[in-house]
Amino acid sequence: MGKLFDIALVFEYMPAIFSRVSVTLLIVSVSVVGGTLLGFLLAAVRLYRMPLLNGAAVFYISFVRGTPVIIQMFIVYYALPILLSQVDININRWNKLYFVLISYALNNAAFMAEIIRSAIASVPVGQTEAAHSVGLSGFQALRRIVLPQAFCTAFPAFGTRVVGALQDTSLAFTLGILDMLGQAQAIGVRTYHVLEGYVAVALFFIAASLLLEKGFAWAGKKLLPNAG
Amino acid sequence: MIRVRDARKSFGKNEVLRGVSLDVKKGEVVVILGPSGSGKTTLLRCINFLENADDGELTIGDLSVRFKHATKREILSVRRRTAMVFQNYNLFNNKNALENVMEGLVTARGIPVSEARETAKRELDKVGLSDKYEAWPSQLSGGQQQRVAIARAVSLNPEVILFDEPTSALDPELVGEVLAVMRDVAREGITMVVVTHEMSFASDIADHVVFMDGGVIVEEGTPREIFTRPKEQRTRQFLDRILLKYDYAI
Ligand SMILES: Nc1ncnc2c1ncn2[C@@H]1O[C@H](COP(=O)(O)OP(=O)(O)OP(=O)(O)O)[C@@H](O)[C@H]1O
Ligand SMILES: [Mg+2]
Repeated sequence: MGKLFDIALVFEYMPAIFSRVSVTLLIVSVSVVGGTLLGFLLAAVRLYRMPLLNGAAVFYISFVRGTPVIIQMFIVYYALPILLSQVDININRWNKLYFVLISYALNNAAFMAEIIRSAIASVPVGQTEAAHSVGLSGFQALRRIVLPQAFCTAFPAFGTRVVGALQDTSLAFTLGILDMLGQAQAIGVRTYHVLEGYVAVALFFIAASLLLEKGFAWAGKKLLPNAG
Repeated sequence: MIRVRDARKSFGKNEVLRGVSLDVKKGEVVVILGPSGSGKTTLLRCINFLENADDGELTIGDLSVRFKHATKREILSVRRRTAMVFQNYNLFNNKNALENVMEGLVTARGIPVSEARETAKRELDKVGLSDKYEAWPSQLSGGQQQRVAIARAVSLNPEVILFDEPTSALDPELVGEVLAVMRDVAREGITMVVVTHEMSFASDIADHVVFMDGGVIVEEGTPREIFTRPKEQRTRQFLDRILLKYDYAI
């Protein structure tokens, strides 16, 4: 078995582990894009206080934000097939990855909804009133005045959430997804060197998170020179 | 010409406007005075439908609407015939001074950008901000922001500009520059309805002064009539108080 921890192995395992980065990136992209789109819908339901739907949205958002993502993933994995079988849709043969993508998108939707909703709500009502006073319609006021300002407010929180979404992907392996962590675990089982693989994965997450954070900070400065 | 007939508005049980009627002739400057909570802001906000009055009628030029039954279309056309200058300026924070003035021209009126830009520059020049085209609201003083807001309102060439205490949020040393711009606007013959506590402005510029209290118009007349021989006790008390507070001599 040799040494307990061999730094050389960290680098030796890296190519094999990093070859699975596409799975991780796929999960992040789908969860962020899908979550943002769904988040917009949820935020609209909340902001316009749509009857019935608003209550459901409030419940959904607090449920998702109040329970661990791994539980949500298991619920989707075990409950969705049962639910859909009621309407004669059989998804038992689906690739597990689909369940992961759905759970993460649903999970992020709740976080994105709150980011979007609070950003829009934070734009002073006087901005909308001024827009109306110069003759803009409700939709024009939203598009030209409110959303651009909300975007500036939401941007940093959005960046933080993307980093969070990235780190959340590390739970996908519990469903047997062969992402980077799954690969590290597989290597560990095969070689009895568990730690080295995990260290390689950790290095990836540190680098990727820093990169994202810096990227968002940089983009923030570029996009929002007049923020504040 | 603006005509408000029997405007009524309650917030819950609080009856804020109890039947207000107001006539403003073309080119006239009407100043509305009144104690805090008398409904002055609410009246202005009802005139451009930032608030939905419960009852009454509004005529602006050839357009007449019932407050209660106004359609979205009618509300939009009322708003396109009016402009408002707010106490807190409310410049668009995501737009620079020039864009603030252009926004209504381009987006609401559909005027070509190049033409709107020329109009906006001209209006900013008139309020003495020819060196601030590119400035963001956060880079402007309160007085400068309010002057941009006035340029924004004037550029739309509305039938009336509603001013809601345009100098109340300003540091005292910045009040003068805004009042000076408002005098220019009045001199151009633009119809104005102004809520203000600036008595010297009112007595110099107003054609007509309206005193409101408790959601009704208590008394109205020429500045001379209201300031030198008010008929109503409530008007007299208000004027005594305000003149004392602001230390004005008229
Ligand atoms: N959106 C609102 N909801 C509930 N009550 C309101 C609202 N706006 C105004 N009011 C109430 O209506 C009354 C009149 O308010 P308004 O702002 O019109 O007075 P005002 O004459 O402009 O006073 P001020 O000189 O202080 O600006 C006040 O009692 C106020 O509390
Ligand atoms: Mg007021």
